[in-house]
Amino acid sequence: MAQLFTPAATTLFRVVIVLIGAGIVAAGVMAYVWARSDSTWNVGKSAPQPVPFRHDLHSGSLRIDCRYCHSTVERAADAGMPSAQTCMSCHSQVWVGASVLEPVRSSFTLGQPIEWTSVHRLPDYAYFHHAAHITKGVACETCHGRVDQMPKTVKTQTLSMGWCLNCHRDPVPNLRPREAVFTMGYEAHGKDLPGDIRELYREASRRLTSCNTCHR
Amino acid sequence: MSSNAQASTSPVAEVPLSRRFGLIWWIALGASGALVLLLGYTLISVTIMGVGIWGVNIPFVWGFDLINYAWWIGIANGASLFAAILVLRRHDLRTAVNRFAEGVAFFAVICAGIFPIFHLGRPWLFYWTFPYPATFEVWPQFRSTLTWDFWAISTHVIVTSLLWYVGLIPDLATLRDRARRKTVQRIYGIFAIGWRGSVRHWAYHQRAYRLVAILVLPLILIMQSTVAFEFGVTLVPDWHETRQPLHFVATGLAQGLSIVLLVAVLLRWGLRLGRYIDEEDIDLLGKLVLASALVSGYLYLDEFVSAVLADRMTQEATFDRMIGDEAGLYWTAIVYSILIPQLFWFKAARQSTIAAVFVGFSIGVGIWFDRFSIIVGGLQTDYLPSVGRTYSPTLPETGLFLGTVGLFAAFLLLFARFLPVVSMFETRHDEHEEETS
Repeated sequence: MAQLFTPAATTLFRVVIVLIGAGIVAAGVMAYVWARSDSTWNVGKSAPQPVPFRHDLHSGSLRIDCRYCHSTVERAADAGMPSAQTCMSCHSQVWVGASVLEPVRSSFTLGQPIEWTSVHRLPDYAYFHHAAHITKGVACETCHGRVDQMPKTVKTQTLSMGWCLNCHRDPVPNLRPREAVFTMGYEAHGKDLPGDIRELYREASRRLTSCNTCHR
Repeated sequence: MSSNAQASTSPVAEVPLSRRFGLIWWIALGASGALVLLLGYTLISVTIMGVGIWGVNIPFVWGFDLINYAWWIGIANGASLFAAILVLRRHDLRTAVNRFAEGVAFFAVICAGIFPIFHLGRPWLFYWTFPYPATFEVWPQFRSTLTWDFWAISTHVIVTSLLWYVGLIPDLATLRDRARRKTVQRIYGIFAIGWRGSVRHWAYHQRAYRLVAILVLPLILIMQSTVAFEFGVTLVPDWHETRQPLHFVATGLAQGLSIVLLVAVLLRWGLRLGRYIDEEDIDLLGKLVLASALVSGYLYLDEFVSAVLADRMTQEATFDRMIGDEAGLYWTAIVYSILIPQLFWFKAARQSTIAAVFVGFSIGVGIWFDRFSIIVGGLQTDYLPSVGRTYSPTLPETGLFLGTVGLFAAFLLLFARFLPVVSMFETRHDEHEEETS
């Protein structure tokens, strides 16, 4: 009877087994890298907006306070998007006829909100409260980056759960004095917070990492 | 190897190598295939629409999903525990029943594994129960029964498939050598991974086979206890009992043995393997089934006694299961899994194919009702005044259960068609020993 397999078949069989093993390891490594890459989380990617709004102009050059437009950020879960009325408080005087502002004017006339595309959308099972963070000294800049330098609004952080937990496990390094919360380009000195507050947050990290703090 | 030994196992080898397999096999495969389609349909519908299409709701968060999971895992545990003991004791019975006991265990684990995954509600995220470096930087909750299921089932799949496959290797080589067509030879040849039957091969094989078998022993006890602990760790009075693992291990063994017996008599009848699975084997298997049914009976008695001795709340909960609204489930379990097997006190019953099928089937049914009684009956007395509902399975759940039965049957049929159902090398070994002695 002729041989069923050539001598090379054994080598081939072993090579295939090794390759399958290597493939599984490689797939694991690739998944690990992919899950952590910025593009997976849309970091640095801008979204198409109805009006080419420029944060760098309004917040950067003109130094308008964040709260002028995001008016509920200190009181509510949602930071709040400005109504057309807020926009028109200036734009009834400046850039009156500009065609790019047409959606703002029609929104103002019709009383219909402008449909912005959210850049920092969290999943609906994650409960996030802006005021809770702002009033406790987490700055805008910490999560949203240097908005005052952005011609187009983009994410600078992944907003992954691991990223949230990094801070919830030890919030102190990311906390600022109240007066610096809306500052851009703030440099922390590390000793700005009183010792008792630092102590408080160290103890609070257990409560801050409990599941139902964010998943209610 | 003498030519006599070659000839002695050829009827076993002829089965997978024959070209035609008869109409009954095709009809059976068609029927089980239809059930597998039903399984696919129910799984897709529960994936799309969610577990809301099942009858489960607070407080009955566990229904058919856990009943059938516990039932299938019982079969798997019973069958592989039995197989492992036979291998380790080098018992004569292993020649006849080991191969398909291992097969039954493996197929049952696959059926069992379906339930916890789809019971998650978002089955595509099942890997979250596995501790891997996830971007949400939280490890799975090791106190959660969901993670226990993951470890129990994945370990079970690995060990039972190893036990089955390691035992198959020499026989796959035999099939490779006897196959007539080149492609068939090659397929069996690849799975025989270069088996040449040298002394070294045999020495390694024996060591590997026994090593895996020895792994099975503690594993099965742990796995079955894991299932039991899923009930034990809750605060439900009737479930929160230390006797729970014992109950699950013992009834699981009875169930596994009964399914092995059922498959044994069916294969013996269907494939005419009377010479390999002889009267003595079936008789011995019958006695084992009877003994395990008696142990289950003892545990039912133990349940009653420990309820009498327990605190008032546990007592009420247990007695409610025995005489309450769902008492029918409890007594059905007793009748089918304890009383009917008593038939096997008679030698005539142990030797009759029909009686063996009847008893094997009834223990399977009985233990199914036992799991139903524990899961649904245990929650019958609710401790909140507002809840008046009860649990009954919906059509998709029933379809899912029938689907897994179909899957199990389809696996068995394909197994009987393409693989030797009786261990040929063990048969040769036994006959060789008989000749020399």
